[in-house]
Amino acid sequence: MSESVKIVEKKPIPSEATMLIGLPDVGLVGLIATSYLITELKLEEVAYMDSDLLPPVVVLHKGLPHAPLRIYGNQNLIAVISELAVPVPAIYSIMRKIVDWGQEKKVKRIVSMGGIPVESRQAITEPQVFGAASNQELLDTLTKRGLNLMNEGYIVGPQALSMRYSISKKVPAIAILAQSFYNYPDPEAAAMALKEFSRIFEIKVDVAKLLEKGEEIRLKARDIMKRTQQEMNRMKKSQEYDLPLYV
Amino acid sequence: MFRGNSMSEKQRKRSIFDIMSEYVEEFETLADELMESAFPEGPSWNTETCCLHALSNVFITPREVIVTADLPNIEPETVKVEAVDENLIEITAKMKKKVRFADLGIYHRQGEFSFLRCQDHIHVAFDAEKMKISYKGGIVEVRFPRKK
Repeated sequence: MSESVKIVEKKPIPSEATMLIGLPDVGLVGLIATSYLITELKLEEVAYMDSDLLPPVVVLHKGLPHAPLRIYGNQNLIAVISELAVPVPAIYSIMRKIVDWGQEKKVKRIVSMGGIPVESRQAITEPQVFGAASNQELLDTLTKRGLNLMNEGYIVGPQALSMRYSISKKVPAIAILAQSFYNYPDPEAAAMALKEFSRIFEIKVDVAKLLEKGEEIRLKARDIMKRTQQEMNRMKKSQEYDLPLYV
Repeated sequence: MFRGNSMSEKQRKRSIFDIMSEYVEEFETLADELMESAFPEGPSWNTETCCLHALSNVFITPREVIVTADLPNIEPETVKVEAVDENLIEITAKMKKKVRFADLGIYHRQGEFSFLRCQDHIHVAFDAEKMKISYKGGIVEVRFPRKK
């Protein structure tokens, strides 16, 4: 099954980099934050993903075709994005491949940014950001750097799998999650998540332009949000509202 | 002869697994149909009406129907909520600035849009005359009391 997904490298991939994953999910927080970071840091496309499990789609940018699932990078950072709502049946193989590939490339850690759906989001002016990590040492590091922890709760979808597979592969993994709308694109939440990412990993990025372009992003992101919502419904994403029971 | 009878007997009497499998198939077809009706395929714009389709949600509580819509880039005073019929409401708003396909980086289509619009089906009775509308951070919220 893992062979059904291939990562085709176009350029040399650095080792010891931080791998950032921003796939379409709640409020498109991870995708908006990661694609903005790619543009701001002028990261180059270094690889792309090919799989028969994905719909037959290419994305045209400036007239040239691109795979919807692409990997960008520089010497310190590798960023994975998808301009396609990843179909639920493909998500296991895709995430397993990303983590396996990251381990092969000796990444220092895997970070995924995303949203935590909150019902009263429109009443929140500045979304709060929470963290989760694959081991206690990492959690302590996040706490020391002032990030609130998501102590109890469910994570569903690509972030859940990136965390699960990272643990089994012994690759340190962190999730940075901002309070966000469930199925409306949320550039403000993306900006907050990115600010925390930038602060924790000391990667300089100014989110002012992201906030300025918020309305334009919300207009442009309606279609991918709609398709992402269909996949979120299929993967029972609403379980993130549930309270876990462990006595 | 005996075998032949036994085979046809088997064919006539479907096993419980066959029946369950048929039910599952029917259920899956129904689920797909429901999904398609909830998320109809098609463009998220209408060049004839100059409308972009807005994302929206409907929440039904024991006392209220709450509809929200994501309406970025609009003039809040132009928000209009209308009950098209007893099960359908429509929210429209004028955008601050017309949006052309070219503004979104699309040059192979032509058209410009002045409005954001959404239509939502509501499957419980509600009182459209007592609706309350609020707008914050680009999100319109409309509350209707439910009819008893």
